[in-house]
Amino acid sequence: MVKKQFFYLLTTLFVLMLLLTGCAHKPKGPLNEAPQDVAKDQRAKTAPEKDDGPVSPPGAADNKQDEFFEEEFETQRVQVADPLYIWNKGMYYINDKLYFWVLKPLARGYRAITPDVFRNCVRNFFHNLTTPIRFVNCLLQGKGNEAASELTKFFINTTIGVLGLGDPASQYPQLAARDDEDLGQTFAKYGIGNGFYIVWPVLGPSTLRDSVGMFGDAFLYPINYVTPLEAELAIRGVDRVNQTSFHIGEYEALKEASIDPYVAIRNSYLQYREKKIKQ
Amino acid sequence: MRKILCIAVVLLLISQVSWSDDRNAAKELLVTNIESALSILQKKDLVQQEKNKQVTAIVEPLFDFNLMAKLALGRKYWPELSEKNRKKFVDLFVKRLKATYVEKLSLYTNEKVIYGAPVQNGIKILVPTKVVSKDKNYSMLYKLYKSSNGYRIYDVEIEGVSLISTYRSQFNDILNKGTIDDLLAKLEKPENK
Repeated sequence: MVKKQFFYLLTTLFVLMLLLTGCAHKPKGPLNEAPQDVAKDQRAKTAPEKDDGPVSPPGAADNKQDEFFEEEFETQRVQVADPLYIWNKGMYYINDKLYFWVLKPLARGYRAITPDVFRNCVRNFFHNLTTPIRFVNCLLQGKGNEAASELTKFFINTTIGVLGLGDPASQYPQLAARDDEDLGQTFAKYGIGNGFYIVWPVLGPSTLRDSVGMFGDAFLYPINYVTPLEAELAIRGVDRVNQTSFHIGEYEALKEASIDPYVAIRNSYLQYREKKIKQ
Repeated sequence: MRKILCIAVVLLLISQVSWSDDRNAAKELLVTNIESALSILQKKDLVQQEKNKQVTAIVEPLFDFNLMAKLALGRKYWPELSEKNRKKFVDLFVKRLKATYVEKLSLYTNEKVIYGAPVQNGIKILVPTKVVSKDKNYSMLYKLYKSSNGYRIYDVEIEGVSLISTYRSQFNDILNKGTIDDLLAKLEKPENK
């Protein structure tokens, strides 16, 4: 019974993927929009904080403290040019609908009919398959120890873990999960900037640098070599639905907390990548 | 010469002690409050509404909402605001923050929090934590500072994404294109349900 449902799921996904790749790629001409202007370091005085009442007139004593806080958010405010704004916003809407109308219901149904153990196995399996990407990028970033531990994990999980379905390597604290490295992060380590922001259909937010990285990483991903294309897309679909089944509610939370979800997601993506690059 | 050196060393030691005291006090405060909030959420005999009320009572005093509002707007725009608009902005923003926070409480499903070693930078103390659930975990960084009445949270980072930074980027975007009235109107009417 479960098997049949699973097969049904696969076919639906596959049809969906075909539809998406078929019609979503109608690139509109890039519209030039001035990149967001960066806040000038205005020496304006900020009102100090008092605990009773929201504001009180500026005082010299508190200004130093204010600067201290300002600095943190000034430098942390990651900025990126958004020349493809119109395209990006369109893709944001499409991805948003895709999530709520397709991906979320699928992931929910999938979660309901599959035991947690199964979902974990699928997650482990795909994570194990991305080892080459992490391994090569660890090397490219000069992280010898991390590269060695990725390789060790791969061998343990592929053999004892039965093709990566299990994760026995996580028993060893010295092999504990480290940060996922990818080519986009490697480029960043080499000093290459984000370029500009771009939202891909289905794949979501990215930047020029991270997109080139994603393209390069694809050569190291075994699923990429699966033929025919239908099979590859179906496998990718399963991976995506399986992953989503662990994260239902997160996108909703981010969106609900935001005033302008498009800007919030753009900024969150940049902050998230920034943190990964630093690690 | 030796005497000066001795004094210097002693002073250094004392300052070290007080620094680690600061760090631990901030962490202690956070741990106590989070754990008691979690224990309320875990109670099975309470209705969600009652849980929300009790948790809010514990957690809210930890946050410096006024500072958060000011930081979310930023030095570029805050000084330009009239007194009336400042008050209105702070009220609306804080209301918004609290509402989204309370909403999330009902999603709680037995997650545990693991606390890392706090890091101090001047009056700021950062406490890294990990929220662990059955099948996933994510990092959460609590940023506190030493205010005139104890440690208060001024920002929270989830997986490296800062709450204040995210709000600031949105507010700046709105204010770059429009006016403070546009921003206040948007804050008043949430459209992302």
